[in-house]
Amino acid sequence: MVSHKGVDYTKILKRYDVEAQNETTPESVAKKMLPSDPTLKKVAETVLYMKFKDVGPAVTEALKTVKPLSVINDGLVVGMECVAKLYAEHIYYLPEIMMAAKTMEIGIAIAEKQIPGGRETKGLVVMHAAEGDPHDIGKNIAAVMMRSSGYSVIDMGKDVAVTDVVAEVVKSKPMLITGTALMTTTMTAFPHAAEQLRGKGINTPFMAAGGAVNRDFAESFDLGIYSEKAPQTPPIADKIKAGYDWRKIREEWDNIVGGA
Amino acid sequence: MSVTRYTKMAYSSADEMVFGTAKSPVSYGFGIKVGAGRVIPELNYAPRPGSEKDPARLAKEYVDYISKDVLERAVTVGFPDVQLETEWVSQMGTPKMAIPVVEGQKAICEKYHEEYGINCAVRHTIPDQREAGEEGLRTGMKGHHAYPEALFKAAEVACENGADVFSVETMGGKELSDYATTNGDVVAFLFGVGYLGSIDMEYVWKEFVNICKKNKTIAGGDTNCAGANTAMFMAGGYLDNDVQRTYSAVTRAIASARTLVAWECGASGPDKDCGYEGPIAKSIAGKPCAQEGKNCQCAHCDLQGNLMAQVCDLWSNESVEYHPEFGGSSVQCWLGSLGYEVSLMNTAIATGQEKTLRDLYMISDRSRGPEGYVLAYDNAYKIGEAIAKEGNNLYLRSRAAGITAAKLIKAGNEAKEIALTNKQKDVLVNIIKDLEALPDSEDKFFEYCDKKYSDLVPLYNKKNYGF
Repeated sequence: MVSHKGVDYTKILKRYDVEAQNETTPESVAKKMLPSDPTLKKVAETVLYMKFKDVGPAVTEALKTVKPLSVINDGLVVGMECVAKLYAEHIYYLPEIMMAAKTMEIGIAIAEKQIPGGRETKGLVVMHAAEGDPHDIGKNIAAVMMRSSGYSVIDMGKDVAVTDVVAEVVKSKPMLITGTALMTTTMTAFPHAAEQLRGKGINTPFMAAGGAVNRDFAESFDLGIYSEKAPQTPPIADKIKAGYDWRKIREEWDNIVGGA
Repeated sequence: MSVTRYTKMAYSSADEMVFGTAKSPVSYGFGIKVGAGRVIPELNYAPRPGSEKDPARLAKEYVDYISKDVLERAVTVGFPDVQLETEWVSQMGTPKMAIPVVEGQKAICEKYHEEYGINCAVRHTIPDQREAGEEGLRTGMKGHHAYPEALFKAAEVACENGADVFSVETMGGKELSDYATTNGDVVAFLFGVGYLGSIDMEYVWKEFVNICKKNKTIAGGDTNCAGANTAMFMAGGYLDNDVQRTYSAVTRAIASARTLVAWECGASGPDKDCGYEGPIAKSIAGKPCAQEGKNCQCAHCDLQGNLMAQVCDLWSNESVEYHPEFGGSSVQCWLGSLGYEVSLMNTAIATGQEKTLRDLYMISDRSRGPEGYVLAYDNAYKIGEAIAKEGNNLYLRSRAAGITAAKLIKAGNEAKEIALTNKQKDVLVNIIKDLEALPDSEDKFFEYCDKKYSDLVPLYNKKNYGF
């Protein structure tokens, strides 16, 4: 056996992850972002520190003195914005996002009950994985990120037929449709769905994503736009909400997602 | 078909393992001998979008374009062996789509073997579209699509029509491994993949082995692609920040106990290329393994590209979409990449330098990341020993694999052999704590997890695993 004892690995590879690790604590980042009001701060902190069991009592307590919409927007959502910032700075990771989002959703469900007619979200998104494709973990992560960013999501699941996607879009009139595919022969469902939607006069952007999909394919059919990874979905949706159509999303894509 | 658990190691020491040689070599197809002293390139591919529109178009894509291109290039460059791997697209679940492909690939292999004497064979890897939700994982669960019934039907279609080697990437435990990886819950992964996934493997592979025997097809093996590979690719490289690489390394070790089950049910190998757990499984069973790494950059970028070649018997490109490149079609270019690497390995064997090359492959990636560290053949062997020691108990052996891997990384970090970020260390410490806190009783473990994950994972249904 060739001995690896005493090998100077710096001559072979460079551990950029270790060298570049962010030593900042969640507390120091959140300190600048958390609300000053102690009641709302307590609500925001339950999300920031992913305290499932504490969020209910904190929200219930806050609702005694604060309007429900404010509990959501100035407490729960602010907590989630802190989490997003920590994720962007590589202090928090996906599990923290998932747990914080779940905590926030518990809180929102309690507060929403006190808003007549329910809470208005930023928009509705229909999400699915293509027919014949059993892999949907990317779609599930994107759905959590969309909900955390204030959108309503109809998650149609995996292995969804084109006809079902079209029917759901006609029925629910979303601002964005997303489809994920891991195979070259299942992603062809997306242009078929888009064509049928165009035939019905629907011009809603159709985001194609997943391991088999690339930007060239996603932009090869009318309505098609691309997302390379789950965190790119909310900023693209924000632009659609701001009035961008699918053509403008394509033109501005690099700027929206922060690079090609 | 009986199940024989592994409770002993096939190799007496880690140093005994080397690429190109397995304790139990396998012969099939047109002159292919795997693990018999030579490494063989295995080329995998995906058809172009649109080729799935009708049976004739799909067969033409797979046979007249892809297979012919590969065999032509192999002969052109002088490669003595090549294995094709067709990972079925979902449309091939319909026999009229699948049969012309299987028959056509067999025929073209025979033609090139007769004409040029090239050793060749085709592995058919069928899709597992079973879903843990309403559809169910077992036959008779009366899902709308009847996917479990379709799985066994696809196996029959593949084997009856000419598959040389049969493989699957089964989905048992996926509902829990998806939850585990997105939430950083190693116990959920152990329950889903190590325990329930192994039970599902036994359920499907007993039947697959029967089908293969009936048709004289080699039962290759399985991989936990949906679990451990999902974790590994989400953990990614140095710029990625979704999943901790210490977590993915431990999931790989747990997955190796699941992969072993196909062989315990009578499959003979080679296992699947994307099963990065191959070095661990091979150390226990001595059966040949397919691996991928540096020459699969068309599909995957991982942190152990050289290391994965250390004890392989087939060397794969994972998958490439068929399309033109400057140097020929994509399958020809990637066969060239694979074939020359294999030629280097076989030159090392022919000159008695195989252990030196093995070690250079291993050392170059040993410290690149925790997953490569636990898969380095000396560490893989130690994980294998931990599994074999508890070989008769699916739960205890999976837990032992996870704890051993985690402790190897911890010790390696303390010895300054493998650097870790603070976050990676924190996650590692919690993994050890969580796994060690679990009960030694299988029944108590099941009871605990069944209660916990019934609430947390909506798709989890114990009926899928025979409970």
